[in-house]
Amino acid sequence: MRTFRRAIAVAAGALSIGLAATACSPSNPDSQAGGGSGGAADRITIGTTADVLNYNPLVGNSRTDTWVTNLMYPRMMSMGMDGVRSPYLASKWEYLDGGRKAKFTLRDDFTWSDGEKVTADDVAFTIDAVAKEKIGVVAGLISSYQKSTVISPTEIEFQLSQPDGTFLENVGFWMPVVPEHVFSKVGSVQKFANDKDWVSAGPYKLTTVERGQRYVLERMENFPLVEGGPKTKEVVFRVFPDVNTEALALRNGDVDLIANALPPPLAKTLEGDSKLKLVKVPSLGWAHMQYNTARKPLDKLEVRQALAAAVDYEAIRRVALQGKAVSSNSSVLTPTLKQWQDPSAKEYAHDPAKAKSLLTGAGFKDGNGDGLFDGLSLRMIYDQADPNISKWAQLVRDSGKEAGIEIKLEGLERNTYVEKYTARDYDIYAGSWAIMENPPANLALAFKCKGFINYANACDPELDALIDQARGQLDQAGQKGPIQQAAKIITDKVYDNVLYVEEFTIAHSAEWSNFLVQPSELLSIVNPVSVAQATKG
Amino acid sequence: MTTTDALMPPPGDAPPPAAAATPTAGGLPPSESVARQTWQAFRRNPLGLVSAGVLILLGLVALAAPLIADYPSGYGEDVLAGPGAGHWFGTDDLGRDVFAQVVWGTRVSIVVGLAASLLAIVIGVLVGVAAAYFRPADLVLGVIVDVSLSLPVLPLMILVAALAGPSVPTLVVVIAVFSWPEVARVVRSQGLAVVPMPYVSAAHVIGGSHLWIIRKHVLPGVAPVVAVSVVLTTSRAVLSEAGLSFLGLGDPNSWSWGTILHQAQRSGSLATAWWTTLFPSLAILLLVVATTLLAVAYNDARNPRTR
Repeated sequence: MRTFRRAIAVAAGALSIGLAATACSPSNPDSQAGGGSGGAADRITIGTTADVLNYNPLVGNSRTDTWVTNLMYPRMMSMGMDGVRSPYLASKWEYLDGGRKAKFTLRDDFTWSDGEKVTADDVAFTIDAVAKEKIGVVAGLISSYQKSTVISPTEIEFQLSQPDGTFLENVGFWMPVVPEHVFSKVGSVQKFANDKDWVSAGPYKLTTVERGQRYVLERMENFPLVEGGPKTKEVVFRVFPDVNTEALALRNGDVDLIANALPPPLAKTLEGDSKLKLVKVPSLGWAHMQYNTARKPLDKLEVRQALAAAVDYEAIRRVALQGKAVSSNSSVLTPTLKQWQDPSAKEYAHDPAKAKSLLTGAGFKDGNGDGLFDGLSLRMIYDQADPNISKWAQLVRDSGKEAGIEIKLEGLERNTYVEKYTARDYDIYAGSWAIMENPPANLALAFKCKGFINYANACDPELDALIDQARGQLDQAGQKGPIQQAAKIITDKVYDNVLYVEEFTIAHSAEWSNFLVQPSELLSIVNPVSVAQATKG
Repeated sequence: MTTTDALMPPPGDAPPPAAAATPTAGGLPPSESVARQTWQAFRRNPLGLVSAGVLILLGLVALAAPLIADYPSGYGEDVLAGPGAGHWFGTDDLGRDVFAQVVWGTRVSIVVGLAASLLAIVIGVLVGVAAAYFRPADLVLGVIVDVSLSLPVLPLMILVAALAGPSVPTLVVVIAVFSWPEVARVVRSQGLAVVPMPYVSAAHVIGGSHLWIIRKHVLPGVAPVVAVSVVLTTSRAVLSEAGLSFLGLGDPNSWSWGTILHQAQRSGSLATAWWTTLFPSLAILLLVVATTLLAVAYNDARNPRTR
């Protein structure tokens, strides 16, 4: 009898824990999402899965950092669906003096939230700070920058060390402009947290931060890129650490839009919901594996080719991505960037027999008859929080086994993952690029000897020469030839195994419309103009 | 009060179990008789018998996993299919059979649970017996145990597992490292009751070495609480493994119940494909409830007052 009573107590305890967990669910201060009617609304609530880590737009690089700071700090250029640049703060740009100089002409109607005008001095200050303090990826993109000259409040000219046809687009899109009159007073710009008293010039200004809960931004009435200013008074980012809860909040009307791309299975289940609208957004990057060529036996081309032949690309796209991805024909020139694409590119064939034959040719044997080549066990690292990569990594491991290759998965917590890939401590790196829209610049970073993001540790003089040749050209037509040759080398030598280009699914409430779709998860419909011009009802 | 404490008779409520379990010259029945009485009391308890049956069944599933289902690998065409004739527990977001995952997950979950529990028991018994037997060491070991018990276990487990990287041995060590203090405390309190017993003093008088006395007299005296601890620590270790794996800190190269839950959560199918979470959760529930009830039943059967 005593035992029975204890059993009841155990069950009651478990139930009470469940009830307590329910009672501890975060309250919803934004339950009146998107009040108002007739187009303009009081508030749009956007769901995100992470907090802002860094409010300094020159340093922050997480997705939530980018979504929030993009609404606050202007860039010189925006981007069309095919990756082609369009005006934002800059109205015009050109190369001069055979490519040794570059010039931006700015709009004159952007104003910082404290009333100061946005001028060429702000641009000059920002690029000098980035170059001097080597801040983030932008510093790696402007290696040819020498100095800037402010010609007038709306004109700025840059002196370059050599003709560089990638400079203007790199600076234009990748460098947010920060207010000189604020950031010049903080000492090191790189170390500046910028976590209060924000002065910004985008469509919205950050006003309230409740860490782990929400970020509130207020409308900047005089934002010039949307006629009459932003339509919605307030933008609220709400944090949902779990994407399932986030989706439930969207269905319940607690949020109006989910900023992060939905995992394909979840997107599929939301397709039939009439209260929601799903937006397809092409990626400007790609998902890939890179083999560490600085390690044996991956320094052998045959081993890398065998690994490439041991991947079932079609299954990854069809099953793991639920068809929400397209092939890039194993090329770093993806279908999204139509103006760069090489029509002769062909995807690696999934051929386990060929993989085995290549490995046998490279001297590997299966001495113990366990179906795996002896001495060929490779560690593959990836971010375990990435829903897609975590899925296809399992398919890569299982198809590798069919080809006699043992691949040990290391799904790592984000910080450990960053630490490992920064130290190049892996055999196989699995990841994805968010935006690789400017091949001459991106390939230099990703494949030149000691490139900032050269995760294959590739060092190929022929490849380096072609990338340099492309960067020396001032127009896309001149860059295309050498870039396509470089891409072919990358494919042939398996410096990068591009698996697919994802088609993101972004979900929002059907009550909202008039979003402006831009490519990539970072821009999608959460880009500044889109949020500013969106209307309800 | 911990669960283990709750299972212990209160001080003064009953003679120390060690006295009943250890052959002494004090007129107590021989150990075979105690074991038989315990078994007779235990088998009259239906909840205990059912719990033991469930645990034996889970053990058999773990052992016979290759005979029950193919190892879940690769992918299937029926993605997120509900339970049916083809897939009893449905399929996951890669079209793999959830039943096969639960069956193979039983193996890793139980192996991690048992291995972590045994490691924790070994460390806990060593520390607990040392603290009870060598009185000068008690203060230092007591402080270490108290400090260890006051640590925020889950965040530390997450931190260590994240830093060490995901693998089954990592999980075993991490869980054991944070589980032994409770065992040590229970063993120490039981050891404190055994060490002053006349037969231990007699062993000293006849010149028995410390090691011999501990092996022959103290360890048998604390054995009943160790048996209960093994069961409870195993169930806690299974829960810890499931928790860490659910948070993505499990071994991606093997299946465990927590790994199945983690993959369901990560894929976004948690709210729509209930079968991906229900069946591994039921398996965890079964094991934890069965171990708890078994420990309760054993404790009741062993204690003359509650037989």
